Amino acid sequence: MASVLKTRSANAAKADAKGKGKRRLDVDEDNDELMAGTDAPPKRKKNKQRVLLLSSRGITHRMRHLMNDLEALLPHVKKDSKLDSKSHLHLLPELADLHNCNNTLYFEARRHEDLYLWAAKTPNGPSIKMHVQNVHTMDELKMTGNCLKGSRGIVSFDESFDATEWGRLTKEVFTHIFGVPPGARRAKPFIDHILTFSILDSRIWFRNFQIMEKDPLQPNGPPQTSLVEIGPRFVLTPIRIFEGAFSGATVFSNPEFISPAAVRSALKREKGDKYQVRKYTDAERSGRRERRRREEEDLAVGNVFA
Amino acid sequence: MKRLMKALGDDGLDEFGEMQLESLAEQSGDEESDEEGGESESESEAEEDIGSVNGKEVDDDMEGGSEDHEEEEDDEGEGEDVLLDDVESVDDDTVPRQKLEIDNKVALERIRETIKLDSALPWTETLAVTYRSTIDVDVEDDLSRELAFYKQALDGANTARTLAAQHKLPFTRPPDYFAEMVKSDAHMERVRQRLLDESATIKRGEEKKKEREGKKFGKQMQIEKLKERERSKKDMDEKLKSLKRKRKDGALDNPQDDGDAFDVAVEDAISDRPAKRGRGGAKTKMSRTARDGKFGFGGKDRRSKQNTRESTETFDFGGGRGSRGGRGGGRGGRGGGKRLGKSRRMNTRGK
Repeated sequence: MASVLKTRSANAAKADAKGKGKRRLDVDEDNDELMAGTDAPPKRKKNKQRVLLLSSRGITHRMRHLMNDLEALLPHVKKDSKLDSKSHLHLLPELADLHNCNNTLYFEARRHEDLYLWAAKTPNGPSIKMHVQNVHTMDELKMTGNCLKGSRGIVSFDESFDATEWGRLTKEVFTHIFGVPPGARRAKPFIDHILTFSILDSRIWFRNFQIMEKDPLQPNGPPQTSLVEIGPRFVLTPIRIFEGAFSGATVFSNPEFISPAAVRSALKREKGDKYQVRKYTDAERSGRRERRRREEEDLAVGNVFA
Repeated sequence: MKRLMKALGDDGLDEFGEMQLESLAEQSGDEESDEEGGESESESEAEEDIGSVNGKEVDDDMEGGSEDHEEEEDDEGEGEDVLLDDVESVDDDTVPRQKLEIDNKVALERIRETIKLDSALPWTETLAVTYRSTIDVDVEDDLSRELAFYKQALDGANTARTLAAQHKLPFTRPPDYFAEMVKSDAHMERVRQRLLDESATIKRGEEKKKEREGKKFGKQMQIEKLKERERSKKDMDEKLKSLKRKRKDGALDNPQDDGDAFDVAVEDAISDRPAKRGRGGAKTKMSRTARDGKFGFGGKDRRSKQNTRESTETFDFGGGRGSRGGRGGGRGGRGGGKRLGKSRRMNTRGK
């Protein structure tokens, strides 16, 4: 009971801070200052992040569920309605500004099967475009973990992020977007899950685990940390990093990335090639037979004994 | 070089050209002998030389103007060759087809500097941790890959707990703190149900397997038992029958004898049955070959159903068996019962 009281008071304190922040958000035009927290009272610096989460038209149910999962996990996310046009991405920074967000996660669905994720710092960039694959949502019954809605998750990166410059930038952006700031509106005061980002095979793998500190089979035993996966899980292939928010010069492009459409067309072409080769050899064989046919001789058996 | 000359010769070079080519051939031949292995290089050089030579010829022939046309054609041919060579070389370059890679490290770093959070921020503001090793596993191997991620997360959780303790951040949720969860209770119930179902399925499968195994064994046992019972019954019947017959015979001899003797005989028969059977079983069979030798073996005669001369001549349709002999069944022993012993037969004959 005591803990409940404590948390309530903590929440109240937070709400206070948040109220102030909100007002300031309304007043301030410059998000950069907000984000860095330079504007905050000098004694205590604050990490202020708000993320606008939206998608393009044409997302499938699976993509939509993934988006919902992210919304459930990140309390500082503001979800918006689908963006109508895929060619007017320059609207996004304005939209984010309207929602007082300094980050944007934009899911772009193409051909109803390919999903791209834009992670951007909105007014001034950068923005990272990634291809999302192997999506498993939280609804799957194999993911047995659970956590408090809106609890602040730990964000874990593996060391390969620090090895490359683009990795460092991605790490920074992801820390802003996926790390829940303490002042988030619906944030709970305890930590019970961890988001991991790992680079493997030059892709970024995302996992989300629940942290269990006691063995459920022996609740009175010694505390022993174990993890249960909550979901969702997905793999991100970085494609490009732009200097601005949804615009600007390309500062990084992944040479290994092959667009899924190209992969599909290559597969189809391979199939077509097989057919073509077969047809060609068929034609050649029949032609050869024609060419090899000898002219009827005068002394052929049929002619002699006619 | 010779091939080249032949090819060109078909088109009909003039003497001058041929001369020049020959001299060139000698030169290039020398070169070839000098630097063995550099064949292709020298050839290409030679080709270029030819081209230039032809060009000269064209210049020369401009004055004469007799074989202008042919020479020009030749020239064009050479030009095409060169072009093809160029194309091939371009292809060679494009074989490892790579997209243009942009990795503007300076710009990336500058951008990172602009968006970077203040390093003075305490850890509690971001809750970001770094795993101090790289994930280095086979991507295709699902199990080890997931294990690596799990390890990373576990390490992250542990470091985060210590860091939280340092920063006096509440970490563990007390058991009396209840709040809305990410997954609803209904969903968690489904998850639990599925886990239960899964374990139940496994258990059921195992039980079924055991049962099946037991059944197989039990069935065998039962069959064996039934057979045994039948056999024993048959044996008993036989024994009783033979005893009865004996008794009948004996009763004819001495009618005073009463039922006690029969009972004793039955008991005797029953008791010594296994021994007798054992003796019977102990009689060794002859080997297969021996039996074949004695009784004959060799399948059906292939022509056993064909007509023979005898079969067509006899008009004996009753037999049905022994069509070859026709008289095979003529023994007439049908219904005669068992053949009597020799002494009895002798006796009857004597009578």
